[in-house]
Amino acid sequence: MNASVDRRTRLFNRTCVGVLIAFAILWLVPLAWAVDTALKPNSETTNPTWAIDNPTLASFGALLAQGDILNWYAASFITSALACAGTVVTASLAAYALSRLRFRFRWLAFWFILVGIMIPSQVLVVPRFRELGAVNLLNTYWAVILPQIPIAIAVFVFKQFFDGIPKDLDEAARIDGAGFLRTYAQIVMPLARPAVSAVAIFAFVWTWNDLLWPLLALSNPEIMTIPVGLATVQGTYGIRYADTMASAVLGALPLVMVFLLFQRRIVEGIAGTGLKG
Amino acid sequence: MRPSAITRRTLLRASLLSGAALTGCSSVRAGLLSTPPDPAVVSYWNLFGGGDGVRMRQMEDAYRAANPHLDLQAVTLAWGNPYYTKLALATVGDLPPDVAAAHLTRMKTLVQGDLLEELLPEDLERHGLTADRFNRRAWDAGLVDGRVYAIPIDTHPFVLFYNTEICDEAGLLAADGTLAPITGPDQFQDALTRARQVTGRYGATHGINSDTASPWRLFQTLYAQLGGEVLAEDGTRVVLDDTKAVQVLDYLRTLTVEKGLMPGSVDYQGAIALFASGAAGFHLNGEWEISTLQTAGLPFSMALVPHVFGDEYAVQADSHTLVLPVRADRDRAGLDRALGFVRSMLDQSLTWAEGGHVPTWQPVATSDRYAALTPQSHYASAADAAVYDPPGWYSGSGSNFEIVMGAAVGAVEAGDLTPTAAVAQLRAKLGELAATPPPV
Amino acid sequence: MASTDTGRQGRPALWFLAPFLVLYVLFIVGPAIYGLVMSFFHTSMVSTGLGEFAGLSNYAEALSSADFWSALWHTVWFTILTTPPLIALALLFALLAERTTRGRWFFRLAFFLPYVLPSAVVALIWIWMYTPELGLLSRAVSAIGLGEPNWLGDPDFAMVSLAITTVWWTLGFNFVLYLAGLAEIPRELHEASAIDGAGPWQQIRLVTVPLLSRTTSLVVVLQVIASLKVFDQMYVMTQGGPNFATRSALQYVFDVGFTDFRSGYAAAASTLFFVVVLAVSAVWLVMTRRQEPEL
Repeated sequence: MNASVDRRTRLFNRTCVGVLIAFAILWLVPLAWAVDTALKPNSETTNPTWAIDNPTLASFGALLAQGDILNWYAASFITSALACAGTVVTASLAAYALSRLRFRFRWLAFWFILVGIMIPSQVLVVPRFRELGAVNLLNTYWAVILPQIPIAIAVFVFKQFFDGIPKDLDEAARIDGAGFLRTYAQIVMPLARPAVSAVAIFAFVWTWNDLLWPLLALSNPEIMTIPVGLATVQGTYGIRYADTMASAVLGALPLVMVFLLFQRRIVEGIAGTGLKG
Repeated sequence: MRPSAITRRTLLRASLLSGAALTGCSSVRAGLLSTPPDPAVVSYWNLFGGGDGVRMRQMEDAYRAANPHLDLQAVTLAWGNPYYTKLALATVGDLPPDVAAAHLTRMKTLVQGDLLEELLPEDLERHGLTADRFNRRAWDAGLVDGRVYAIPIDTHPFVLFYNTEICDEAGLLAADGTLAPITGPDQFQDALTRARQVTGRYGATHGINSDTASPWRLFQTLYAQLGGEVLAEDGTRVVLDDTKAVQVLDYLRTLTVEKGLMPGSVDYQGAIALFASGAAGFHLNGEWEISTLQTAGLPFSMALVPHVFGDEYAVQADSHTLVLPVRADRDRAGLDRALGFVRSMLDQSLTWAEGGHVPTWQPVATSDRYAALTPQSHYASAADAAVYDPPGWYSGSGSNFEIVMGAAVGAVEAGDLTPTAAVAQLRAKLGELAATPPPV
Repeated sequence: MASTDTGRQGRPALWFLAPFLVLYVLFIVGPAIYGLVMSFFHTSMVSTGLGEFAGLSNYAEALSSADFWSALWHTVWFTILTTPPLIALALLFALLAERTTRGRWFFRLAFFLPYVLPSAVVALIWIWMYTPELGLLSRAVSAIGLGEPNWLGDPDFAMVSLAITTVWWTLGFNFVLYLAGLAEIPRELHEASAIDGAGPWQQIRLVTVPLLSRTTSLVVVLQVIASLKVFDQMYVMTQGGPNFATRSALQYVFDVGFTDFRSGYAAAASTLFFVVVLAVSAVWLVMTRRQEPEL
């Protein structure tokens, strides 16, 4: 190896790390500020300094004293997990067909699904409400889960990823007599782990954070999801910066944990045990 | 591959376990299965957060204690337009609550959509809910074609908060320690100037950025004092009086852009924060912020928004009402349960009044105990001078009407529009709304 | 060969597509078509059924409404402001992160964490940052000695403030897509080019970025569509103000549909908006079709 290139690369990489650290810190400042504010009493938040003179968990305590918050966590976990699983399975199956199978209306099916990316969900609220009301599913978890499953972008991401996986791999398996379903489950999906992780995280986060639709669809406080529930206790008036930020932290905490859990899988996928072979 | 397989198995086991544990609890079962409504239940939706929410829960608990055989299911939903969207969608979809809270100025559109039960005099009388026991102005304002559809539980006016220490130093207090009367544009401007001399920052604050309600409330108060009206004939005609509107906007522009007595760009929370931290002597807002400021612990009191213009006092206000959405399965017993709940809330008006709202229920409003409740009773007369948003399908609290009005007023206060340009913008936007066929 | 293939794979293809398509038709396409029908009626949120037939009058009203056009322009302006930084920075951060050997999880966390926050929380944090005189950002800018902009209160600056918030919030999505794209590039290519004597910068410019073109085309189209569909930031942070300067197309739809209860008219406005998004996407299709001739 050329020694001067090596030195150049090392210097370059070090600069990269420096720049990246600076940006990462910049990105974390607002979050740190939110946590900082949440640990102050409400009355001291109007004097904005980083120092916390009287650190308190009062804002968290007030929120946790709301007996329903555990139910809200349960509702958010159940709806997000089921919607996320539904999205990963249905979208990857559909993407497999679009990427690997030859059939007559393939391009039509692809564009039909692609159009869905462009439809804003706010527009669908009134028809969905009438629809789910007719089959008596409003005010259940299903009202939140079912509409969240068909995410068009997920199909798109899977298809893009599948297209990048060399076809010889699954063709070899097909020659060995494996059916499409086995090729999908045993060859393509294990290779697509980064895509699975990405879609799973996004599907989970989107369901977890959705506010407008669950707000309209759920009326029983016991089954409300976290954003809907927190919106009811936050109060929209007053200076309650600390309470607001505490609810932000509590609402996001499980997501941060889920992300940390999944991000190891992204790392694995990117380290490329399967891809680099 | 190996470590990830273990992780996956552990994860799977953990999720199965937690899933099994969760199906044991009732909330999850309620979420997975649709349950039919129970007849012995009173369901009640409201939009009260913050201090109001705390007091409403006290009142609900008192109702539960008094009616142990009934199950009250109270749901608090976030305030804002989605609340009315949800109420309308649920009622149309035949899943409404027995009782719901609604703003007086917003429930009329629901009435026109046939979504609210008409409350007949004989039914109301059975529960002692007769017109003479309510504040006349709130009761009359709530009638639609002379019929009753909503029971007003309070009047919530725009008020003037003042920092007693700052006002004392500025020589603005009377001998009894309350704010000395302020009348006329010059006196109000003078009071703000003197308060600013003490604070070194501002005389008064109110929300402007991303807050269209506060500028509208202030404008409406001063404009109504001049006798001005904005809409007529249920919103189909714009009767904005350009001269009066420009006079009010000129005055507001003087206070903000020219004299800097009020900040022209501060949001709702920021306006309160500035007042709470002593950067302003006065704060203009709805009386409901009393809870916030009591928690903030500054020395303050409250008064009517001063009589700045005209001969007759007026102040912008709205009322919270309780309504009964139309539901097919409501029988006489269900109606009585619902009205019994309404009556219970009215009987607890004193609790409600602690949050700043002026009670409409006369047995409480005229009681000594309410008179002893200060500073809340200082501005009780606002209920009799209350000016509600004009009737119209696009009008009412949080409506597009308020957004159109407040945006223009706020733009004048921020110095982005001249008063005449603001009036022209108002005419254009209101004209468009007035010409639109109503959706009901 | 091709035709027999098509015959054999049509049925399994249907089974693979069915689960997604059924839900998709039920909850996306179906409601969208119902919305399209509503746009030809004076449908009201506060009554049952479709209401009176309106013909094209809803469309005529929207097309002649100055408010609708200005809302559309605000959406386009927002897209112009947010798309370039969201793509350039995401690519830059992903490229830099790829070159670090340790602590990659930290960068993933830092850039992706904001994305998992609900819009209401993001809005509250940033309103708090932007608060005149009290907010962190306001004080930081004054500390540097610059005049503090009236972040959300100035009609000319409010959209820029919303764009800054959006870049902070949603960058993580593109960042992760780029990381996934980078993972697809075989390490051997870098090694080969390094042996050829290419410096790190040349490697990035001549090898990595061109190989990421598939990812970039994906990121661009998703970003443009996401920016055009902007709603939450305005809804929570400015309510379309000051003086309607940040009212986006979807905020307009929300105002007329949810606040005014005019479902029919709102459906017409959304249909027109959808046509705009479709047109933008069609341009992208024409541009990328050359890359993927088999579709």
